[in-house]
Amino acid sequence: MIKQAIAVFLLLLCLTGCAAPGKLTAKAIKLPDPAQADPNGSLILALGGEISVINPVLSTDTSSSAVEGVIFNGLTTINESLEVIPELASSWTVSPDGKIWTFKLRPGVKWHDGQLFTAADVVFTYDTILNPKVNSVRRSDYIIDGEEIKFRALDKLTVQAILPKPFAPFLTRTMMGIIPKHLLEGKDINTASFNRAPVGTGPFKFKEWVTGDHVSVVRNDNYYKGRPMLAQIIMKIIPDENSTLVALEAGEVDETGVPPKDYQRLKAKAGINVFEYDALTYTYLAFNLANPKFQDKRVRQALAYATDKEQLVKLIFKGLASPAYAPSAPISWAYSDAVEKYSYDPVKARQLLAEAGVKNLSFTILTNQGNKEREKAAVVLQQQFKKVGVKVDIRVMEWSALLKIVNSPQAPKDFDAVLMGWALGLDPDAYSIWHSSQYPTGFNFIDYKNPAVDRLLARGRTTLDQAQRKKIYAQLWQVIAADQPYIFLWYPKSVVAIRERVGGLSRPGPAGLMLNIEKLFVTK
Amino acid sequence: MLKNKLTVFGLTILTLFAIVALLAPIIAPYNPNEIVDTETLAPSAQHLFGTDDLGRDIFSRAVYGARISLTVGLVAVILALIIGILLGAVAGYFGGWVDTLVSRFIDIMLAFPSIFLILAIQAMLTPNIYNVMIVIGLTSWMGVARLVRGEYLKIRELSYVEAAQAIGCSPWRIIFRHILPNAQAPIIVAATLGMAGAILTESSLSFLGLGVQPPTPSWGNMLMDAQAYLRDAPWLAIIPGILILLTVLSFYLIGEGLRQAIDPRQDYAGS
Amino acid sequence: MKSYLRQRLIQFIPIILGVSLLSFFVMHLAPGDPTALFSDPNVNPIELARIRANWGLDKPIVVQYFYWLGNVVRGDFGTSYTTGQPVLQEILARLPATLMLMIPAYILTLLITIPLGVICAVKKESWFDNLVTFFSFAGMATPSFWLGLVLMLVFAVQLHWLPAVGMYESGITGASLFVRGFDFIRHLILPLSTMVLLSLAGITRYQRAAMLEVLGQDFIRTARAKGLPERQVIFKHALKNALIPIVTLIGLSLPDLFGGAFIIETIFAWPGMGRLGVMAIFQRNYPLIMGIVIFSAVLIMLGNLLADMAYAWVDPRIRYAKK
Repeated sequence: MIKQAIAVFLLLLCLTGCAAPGKLTAKAIKLPDPAQADPNGSLILALGGEISVINPVLSTDTSSSAVEGVIFNGLTTINESLEVIPELASSWTVSPDGKIWTFKLRPGVKWHDGQLFTAADVVFTYDTILNPKVNSVRRSDYIIDGEEIKFRALDKLTVQAILPKPFAPFLTRTMMGIIPKHLLEGKDINTASFNRAPVGTGPFKFKEWVTGDHVSVVRNDNYYKGRPMLAQIIMKIIPDENSTLVALEAGEVDETGVPPKDYQRLKAKAGINVFEYDALTYTYLAFNLANPKFQDKRVRQALAYATDKEQLVKLIFKGLASPAYAPSAPISWAYSDAVEKYSYDPVKARQLLAEAGVKNLSFTILTNQGNKEREKAAVVLQQQFKKVGVKVDIRVMEWSALLKIVNSPQAPKDFDAVLMGWALGLDPDAYSIWHSSQYPTGFNFIDYKNPAVDRLLARGRTTLDQAQRKKIYAQLWQVIAADQPYIFLWYPKSVVAIRERVGGLSRPGPAGLMLNIEKLFVTK
Repeated sequence: MLKNKLTVFGLTILTLFAIVALLAPIIAPYNPNEIVDTETLAPSAQHLFGTDDLGRDIFSRAVYGARISLTVGLVAVILALIIGILLGAVAGYFGGWVDTLVSRFIDIMLAFPSIFLILAIQAMLTPNIYNVMIVIGLTSWMGVARLVRGEYLKIRELSYVEAAQAIGCSPWRIIFRHILPNAQAPIIVAATLGMAGAILTESSLSFLGLGVQPPTPSWGNMLMDAQAYLRDAPWLAIIPGILILLTVLSFYLIGEGLRQAIDPRQDYAGS
Repeated sequence: MKSYLRQRLIQFIPIILGVSLLSFFVMHLAPGDPTALFSDPNVNPIELARIRANWGLDKPIVVQYFYWLGNVVRGDFGTSYTTGQPVLQEILARLPATLMLMIPAYILTLLITIPLGVICAVKKESWFDNLVTFFSFAGMATPSFWLGLVLMLVFAVQLHWLPAVGMYESGITGASLFVRGFDFIRHLILPLSTMVLLSLAGITRYQRAAMLEVLGQDFIRTARAKGLPERQVIFKHALKNALIPIVTLIGLSLPDLFGGAFIIETIFAWPGMGRLGVMAIFQRNYPLIMGIVIFSAVLIMLGNLLADMAYAWVDPRIRYAKK
């Protein structure tokens, strides 16, 4: 759970580009010697925004998740290869019909206040999420086709989850942080003071939260995985990305995301290690298929041919991203690039447009504020499309306003095209994005309807064998790419800069560098 | 008034900027929205102000940005003046319950944290240049109204007003044709200050992303994009900032000159 | 005086009500709603609709308004959507940070600006006066965010003399008071300087103008004619009267004191009320927005009241004019 939280946190923290040959020479990664670890060391992290609540059931923002990641544990978590591994659950089995999952819990785990962790806490956590009066957005994760998953405690250390039907992605949803029943039972979770002074089972205990400034946590000596090497972690709230970078270079924080333009400089800077790794996200230009402009597949394909993805990546990311062709990411086990790529070909684009009988196409691209890369991409796309005679207007909107348009329950929705991104979950199941039933409420906000896709999606999520699922998804990506309901734009790389005094990092990957937080240390 | 060197300085700058803004399409060497070169080039002969983070020519963007800033300033102030003069005149001239009502309304609008109103309205309407003008106009008329009200309260006691009333002129005629021309001096001064304020507000809004939207260039949103490049390409931030400064400064200097010309004894700065 | 006070305080009520009505409706008419603050796109919109209902947002706006008003009258400003904590608590938690920035800024500004303005008035048209005038105008014309960025660039990024962001160094809470105080001051300098430099400009001119007006008055001419030394004329007679407008200004600036300069707070990551308010708007955090609006409105009116009262107290002419 920690890992997922930190992974998400780091993923969304930054995207960058690699360097063209420059005057600065990148230095090699220099990691500190564990023998030099400071037993009273403090790690200072930067959070990109305000923390709302420190309660995994309620929070939705990455800052809160980052804090929860070190305070709470889930039944399971992920490892560096993005595989699901045990955490509070030491093992689990599935019934032959795929509907009953039985989790055996680890004995002897204590809450930060000394009480013993039991199955009752697990059931309490999931019941709370499923409670409609609790403002938890995760509720849908535990409802399959309208029916709730039932959680039962068989004994103090065994929990059962009874699903209405087999559901492959279920395991990836068991990373939810477990909250203590003895402290929250009977209280109104939405407003409980617990949310400002949480108690968990994780490697670090909550110490203080100075509103708007920072949160600090201290070592949990009784952590079940062993005593953490760090004495304290301080998470500072620095909403501005540039200020965070300044703070890193001034030694005020130990870690931050790196924008493409600073990559070269930081790579060559003494005292700082820079890591690049793949992220589980992709950015796209989505067409509103309910809008007559885009109903002809040829129009969409023409625009795909008119897109020079290499230029986009080079200009915006300086190479620290790669062009995207499918609604998955290379790092996912279900990825396949055996799809139609629509390589840059403006001549073909014009041809297709003429074939479709379209002259003087003009439309508006919406994208959200606060994401420089997307804004720039819109400008570049505007130019690229101009070359094939298509006029594009750009509207950069506030995030809430954009979501309101895209998530509006009415059909048809009021937009032409949007430039956004998806952060993919660990499980490749993309039902909510592509299934025809998920319109107009759901993530299929473009009104995409393809019965072949619907069938493949349903099969993908009910098949439990991974090898088989891989084949299903490969086919799925192929069908979707042929339709081009989105133009898939790029896969960003995550780039993180960490000061050399920080050691114990995990292998760079989408799970982030601080996967095993109890192993992290700093030198004096 | 023209004797004052500072005022002359202000007038010169402003006229220069106004000409540049009017002739933007002729003066700008490149299309302000087109990527014409490598990103973040320093100022050079080819690119007077350098290129921005996407490779667009900053000088051209600045020139078009001048259009935006000056237009916003003008329209916003005109709107504020219309509302302010109307309400202030009515309150000042008619007095009594009309005055109380209008004054209470002014109080409510003043009690409103204007930033919130601006932000909320901007969030409500899609942020674009027209809405920015309207919003700024709608939230900056109060000062003018109070000023005008004060003037009218003073002037209506004067004998020529009594005379006009005795003849049987309609109140509206008196308000606009008789009193207003005599109250115009402080109004004009307030107008120049208002333009300065409007330009600052627009740049602040654009800086926050709630004003003129990219890719349309406005000095404010150019500053927003420049934040990340403070260290690597400081000219991205310095240039638009100086332009805003000079423009606003010119308005202040002109306003100051006007004020001195009107009433050399009253050396007010205004708030 | 007492009845005047009571009268003014009673007038607060319709105005505050007007403000609350206006804000409530403007706020709800804005597109987007608080569930948008669940910025995670992986959230199912069905959940958002449910949560919206939990917050009572599916009821008609008028009903919601009266519901809110009813609670407020009982002292309950509701709970913030993001944190679930009482709105008043949220506001009061951020208040100290804002005060600690604004009050020193004000005091410093006044300490510099009053002498500066007086000197300028006394030495009118001298090179000193012209220099200060020019810089005053320049200061008034400078966008606040730009100045903040430039100062940060020079002192924090290039010279590394001062910290760039935040209010204290991390982990400092255990240290001694002296260390904490010193660290706080280091963090305070940049945002403080930005604020002071900007306020200096306008207020100096104001003070100068006020002083000039007083110096031009008959009683000063009389004092000079009597042969009083210039120093006495300035300090004993003119200055006191010239300070009157400043008193008014202080009162009128009260809301700024609490509202904080949100742009400066954002740039320097200063955890104050200005930023709280702006974020609340972006997040459509209705209860918090209303709480802040009412809070500010009350402060603005209190400020006006205090200014008027101080004005009357300081200027005997007005005091005696009131029957």
